[in-house]
Amino acid sequence: MRDSISIARLGIPAVALVTEEFWPQGDFFANSSGMPEVPRVKLPHPVAGTGEDKMAEVASDITPSIVELLSS
Amino acid sequence: MSLLDAASEHDALELLHDLGCTDGLPVVVPTADRVDRMVLATGYEPDLVLGEMGPVYGSATIEKVATAAVMAGCTPDHAPVVVAAVRAICQPEFDLTEMQATTHCTAPLMIVCGPARHACGGIASGFGALGPGHRANASIGRALRLAMINIGGARPGSSDMALHGHPGKFTYCVAEDEENSPFPGLHTTFGYEPDQSAVIITGAEAPHSTFFTGDRDDPKSVESLLNVIGLVMANPGSNNVHLREGAITVIMNPDHTEVIRRAGLTREDVQAELASRATISVGTMRRINPTLFMQGINADDKGRFSEAADDDLIHVLKDPNRILVLQAGGSGLYTMVMPSWCAGPHRNAIVHSEIELDQVCEIPGMTL
Repeated sequence: MRDSISIARLGIPAVALVTEEFWPQGDFFANSSGMPEVPRVKLPHPVAGTGEDKMAEVASDITPSIVELLSS
Repeated sequence: MSLLDAASEHDALELLHDLGCTDGLPVVVPTADRVDRMVLATGYEPDLVLGEMGPVYGSATIEKVATAAVMAGCTPDHAPVVVAAVRAICQPEFDLTEMQATTHCTAPLMIVCGPARHACGGIASGFGALGPGHRANASIGRALRLAMINIGGARPGSSDMALHGHPGKFTYCVAEDEENSPFPGLHTTFGYEPDQSAVIITGAEAPHSTFFTGDRDDPKSVESLLNVIGLVMANPGSNNVHLREGAITVIMNPDHTEVIRRAGLTREDVQAELASRATISVGTMRRINPTLFMQGINADDKGRFSEAADDDLIHVLKDPNRILVLQAGGSGLYTMVMPSWCAGPHRNAIVHSEIELDQVCEIPGMTL
């Protein structure tokens, strides 16, 4: 989240990928940094260690959302 | 700073619990009068800013830090140590925001050195110094945690994402047993004079107990002692092994430092010996977690071990100065080893700050 916020502050389009377990922390950081609307996409939790097939499935599911946010 | 209203001390305590301002245990209610007196005890103006505390980037003013000290049960004598500790962890090198937010259990371990150990309420360095029953240790360490909660905004599960935490996140403060130690005060290795006081802080896991019984007739006792501490430092589950950075704290009891003393080793010798012995074989790590380890979590290590032989040794610390070696605790069989988180932009750097005893005014009859 902090990376995303720092990049967005530079004026570079950024989207944070946040798993559902860490979504509240994402909200917390977004609010505390004064950028409550910083773009983010929710991932299932966990992602790490779930295997290539599952990761490919997650990537496929979220790609349209990332593209949409980067285009908006 | 805003004031809350409550009809009674009991109601005020419940309100603080409800607002998430406590560590889960009862606190001393920080009334304006109590906080004012603690501010006076620091010797500083209430609006003096010691630093910024993440993740909410709260401004650590003397008044807010004094509030945390009151809540923790500190006496005015403890105030200079609390102020120094907050100043230390606000240094950018400590990566406080990242440390507060990580899933690792890391907590700031405070090591108090110099005359402040006696002048600031009697901070324990002997039997059970890391455990309950020592007011100064308990209150000072707790004050730092309450500052991290209320100024820094660390709340479990929403901003502090430690998966489990550990009991040292309530309080984690110990004094060095300088008088009985074969080593100079730990603070002198950071450039302080022996008659200065300082708090040294490192992010640390809970203590890992390390059993060793020496044999005075065995000239190789010191080898055995260093070997077993090195093995515990190289615990294959710790971040130190995977990230090979950070710091490791080694708190030796008087019997173990006596072995060191008889062998004629200095602190620097012990650091170097432990750094050379804190190793794990490539083969062991290959068996435990082949994919992860061979890829290398640490960017510097990427691909480094993929072609290595099983017998090749991996050193868990690159810099012996990242091993904090000191004496504390009662006489007996156990040394304590605290591995660390090792992450953050500055890789779990060790920070320190002088405890300024000359700022404090003696206030006759002052109690909280």
